[in-house]
Amino acid sequence: MYIELKNIDKSYGDFKASDNVNFEIEKGRLVALLGPSGSGKTTILRMIAGLERPDSGEIIIDGKVVNDIPASERGIGFVFQSYALFRYMTVFDNIAFGLKVRKMNKAAIKERVTELIKLIGLEGFENRYPSQLSGGQRQRVAFARALAPNPQVLLLDEPFAAIDAKVRQELRRWLKDMIHKLGVTGIFVTHDQDEAIEVSDEIIVTNKGRVEQIGAPIDIYRKPATAFTSAFFGVTSELADYKSFKSFDEVDEYDRAIVRPEFVKITKKSEVQKYKSSAVEGRVETVEFRGNSIEITVSCNGSRFSARRSLDDPAVEVGETVDVFIYRIFITRGDSVKLLTNNALREETVVI
Amino acid sequence: MGVTLALLSIMVVIPLASLVVFTAKMDFSDIIKVITRPRVVASFEVTLLTAFIASVINAVMGVILAWVLVRYNFPGKRILDGMIELPFALPTAVAGISLTSLYADSGWIGGIFAKIGIKIAYTRIGITIALIFIGIPFVVRTVQPVLEKLDPLYEEAAGILGASRTLTFRKVILPELLPAVFTGFGLAFGRCLGEYGSVVFIAGNQPYETEITPLIIMSELQEYDYSSATAIALVMLAAAFLILFLVNLIQIRNSKILKGGH
Amino acid sequence: MSAGNKQVISREGSTDIHGQTAGSKAVKYILITLSAAFLFVMLVMPLITVIYEAFRKGIVPYLEAISDPDTISALLLTLEATVIAVVINTVFGLFAAWAISKFRFHGKKLLVTLIDLPVTVSPIIAGLIFVLTFGRQSAIYPFLESIDFMVVYAVPGIILATVFVTFPFISREILPVLEAQGTDEEEAAALMGTKGFTIFRRITLPHIKWALLYGIVLCAARAMGEFGAVSVLSGHLRGKTVTLPLQVEILFGDNKFMPAFAVSSILVVLAVVILILRSIVEYIGKRRGEK
Repeated sequence: MYIELKNIDKSYGDFKASDNVNFEIEKGRLVALLGPSGSGKTTILRMIAGLERPDSGEIIIDGKVVNDIPASERGIGFVFQSYALFRYMTVFDNIAFGLKVRKMNKAAIKERVTELIKLIGLEGFENRYPSQLSGGQRQRVAFARALAPNPQVLLLDEPFAAIDAKVRQELRRWLKDMIHKLGVTGIFVTHDQDEAIEVSDEIIVTNKGRVEQIGAPIDIYRKPATAFTSAFFGVTSELADYKSFKSFDEVDEYDRAIVRPEFVKITKKSEVQKYKSSAVEGRVETVEFRGNSIEITVSCNGSRFSARRSLDDPAVEVGETVDVFIYRIFITRGDSVKLLTNNALREETVVI
Repeated sequence: MGVTLALLSIMVVIPLASLVVFTAKMDFSDIIKVITRPRVVASFEVTLLTAFIASVINAVMGVILAWVLVRYNFPGKRILDGMIELPFALPTAVAGISLTSLYADSGWIGGIFAKIGIKIAYTRIGITIALIFIGIPFVVRTVQPVLEKLDPLYEEAAGILGASRTLTFRKVILPELLPAVFTGFGLAFGRCLGEYGSVVFIAGNQPYETEITPLIIMSELQEYDYSSATAIALVMLAAAFLILFLVNLIQIRNSKILKGGH
Repeated sequence: MSAGNKQVISREGSTDIHGQTAGSKAVKYILITLSAAFLFVMLVMPLITVIYEAFRKGIVPYLEAISDPDTISALLLTLEATVIAVVINTVFGLFAAWAISKFRFHGKKLLVTLIDLPVTVSPIIAGLIFVLTFGRQSAIYPFLESIDFMVVYAVPGIILATVFVTFPFISREILPVLEAQGTDEEEAAALMGTKGFTIFRRITLPHIKWALLYGIVLCAARAMGEFGAVSVLSGHLRGKTVTLPLQVEILFGDNKFMPAFAVSSILVVLAVVILILRSIVEYIGKRRGEK
C-alpha cells in the first residue's frame, strides 16, 4: 500500500476531529474523502500533508512513517480550497516557486514551467497575476504549482468548491484524466457526493471523525455498510412505518426505514402494472421537472417520499391517486444497515 | 453641509489661500535667491538626510515590532503594544528635552557613548534619534493590520512546496507587507521632514551642521522676514506633496495587482 | 467550511510546517528581545528621565516648580485651547463625516484632501499660514486692529493653531464607521417619519459612539502637546500666551532644567492617561464591534 493511516486520533480541545482513523490507498488511485462538514475529512488531508500533527497513530507514505517529517520534506503536492496562489507573483513565478526553492537551474525551471503551462492550457498567461484569472484558471495554476516539483502524492482540499457549476463539470473530468495520466496518487476532499462518485476511483466516507466506509463508488452506493452511509448517499426519504407497505419481511427492532427515489415505482391507475397486488395507494403531492426526469413526491401510509418517472411516461397530476410499489428499503439499527427487498420480486425469480 | 464648509473655509481654505496670495506677490527670482542661500541648502541636506535615515530605521524596526506583536505570545505583549502610540500622545517638547538630557554627554545613554568618543546630542545623530522617536508608530501601525489579516494558507502553501522559513518570509510574506511598509515609511518621512518640537532641543542648531529647515523658517518669522519664511516653506510643502504622491502611486500599483484588470 | 476547519486554520496550526526547531525559537526570542530593548531605550527611558529629573531635588522643589504662577496660567491656557479644539473639531467632525458619507456631491475627494491637509503640513508651516493671514502684512490686519482683536502673538492665535493641527482627528475616526454602515437604517427611519436630529441621536450616534470617543481622545492628546504651530503664533509672553509645552521650552532655555522637567511630568502623566484611555476605548470598541 502506498499511503497508510493507522489508528489516527486528533482532537482540538473537546472536539474530536479524527477518531481512530484507518485506511490504505493504492499507488496511482484517485480517492475521495467524502463527508458532511465537520466530519474530519479536511483534518485527515492536512495530517497527510504535514500541516497538522496527529495526537497518536502512524501516517505511512511509501513505506516510511512520516509523522516526524515536516510538510516541506514529504514530497507531496497540495491544492488549497481557495488555491492560496501567491498574489504578488505571476503565473510563471507561482508555478516556478517549488522549483526555485530546490535551486534548480534557470533553464530547467523554464522548461518545466512551460511544459506545465501547456499541460493546463494557459499558454500566453505566464505574466498575468492571479487576480487577472478566472476561478477555473486559478485552479489550474494551483494544480500546476502543486505538480511542478513532481510530487508522488497530490492532495486537494475541496478543489471545485469555488468554481461555478458549468466549469466545474469540465474541470472534474479534466482533473481525473490528468491525475491518471501523470500516475500520481491523489486524495481530494469533498462534501458533494456527485463529485465523489464522478471523479474518484474509491471513496472514503467520513462522519464525526470516523471512517464509515471505504469502497468503489458503485459499491458504496449499492451496498452501504453503515446507517450513516445509507442515509447520506442519494436523495433519501424516511418511511414512518415500513410494515404498512406490502410484501416486506418483518424486522423486529429498527431505527429508520430509508428509501431512495429509484427504489420507488409510481404507476397511474390507467397503466398496466406488474406488482399490483403488492402496491399501495398514494396521493401525488408535488410534480417537478428535473431536466432528465420528473420528480414526484407522494404521500402514502403517513410518509412522504420521492420517486422518478420518465419524461416519456404519461403525466401525473398533483392530487392524483396513484399506485406506489417499493422495490427495496434500507433498514437501520444503530450503526448497521440491512437491505430489504420486496418479496414480490423474489417470487417472480422463483416463477421464472 | 453648510457648517462643514464654513468651518473648513475658516480653518483651512482661507489660511491656505493667504499663503498662495502672499506667494503670488513675491518675485520668482527672490524665491530662488532665498532657497539657494548656502545656509538654507545646508538645512535641506540635514533635514532630508536625518529624516531619511530615521525613517529607514523605523521601517526595519516597524516590521520587526509588527511581527513580534502579531505572531508571538509573550508576557507584557499588551503593554508593548499600547506603548507604540506614546510618540503621538507625548508632547514633542517634552520628548525633546527628555531625549536631550538622556543623550547629552552627561546623560545616561549619551554618557556611555561619550566614553568611546561619540557625541550624540547636538549632532546629526541626535537629530536622527529624535526623529526615530517621532516616527515609531507609523510603520508598526500600517504593517500590523496587514500581517494580522494575512492568510496563513500562503505560508502553508510555500512550506509544502519546500520553502524554508526564511525563504517563505522573503518571497511570500514580505511582498504582502511591502506596500504597507512603504506607506508607513512615506508617512513617517513626511512627518520627520516637518518635525520641530522634539528636534530643536537636541539639534544644537549649529548653522550648516545641525540646523533643520523648520528652525530656519522659525527664525525668519521671528525676524519678521515673512517672504523668506514663505519661500522656504514652499519647498517643504512641495517635498511633502511629492511624498504623498509617491505613496499614492504605490497604492495604486498595488491595488492593480490585487484586484485585477489587465 | 466547518467549525472544525476554522480551528485547523489557525496561526498555531501553521507552526507545524517546519516543526519547532531550535533555530525558530532562537529567532523568536531574539526578535522579542530586540523589540523590547528598542522600545525601552526609545520610549521608556525618556519617560523615566523626565520623572527622575523632575524629582531630582526632592518633592518640595517639585511642588514649588509646578505651583509657579506662570506654570499655572500655562496649564489653564493649555486646557482652554484643548477644550475649544475638542468642541470645534467634534462639531466639525460630525458634520463633515455625515456630509461625506451620506451625500453624493462633486468635489468630495477635494473636500477629504483639504480636511486631511492640516496633519500633513509641518506645524511650523501651519503657524506660518496663520501669521500670513492675520499678521501685520495681511489685508485684514487694519480691520482687526480697529476692533482691537489680535490673533498673532495672542490667545486667539494659539487657539486657532491648536484647532488647525487637530482638525481632521475626529472626522477621520468617524468617517470609516459611517461609510461602512451605509444609509439604509437612516432611510428606513426617515420613511417612518422620524425627524433629522432624532435619526442622528437614535440611529447614527450609537454606531459611531466608540469612534467618536477615540477621536476625542486623540484630538485632546495632540491639542495639549502641540508645540511648533503654537510656538510660531505665541510670541512667548509669559503668563499670557504661553502653553505648557512652551513653558517647558522657556524653562529649559533658561537652564532651569529641574522646573522644566517638573512641568513636563504633568504632560507625561496626561500622555500616559491618554494612552490607557485609548487602549480601553479601543478594547471596548473592538468587543462591541464583534458582537
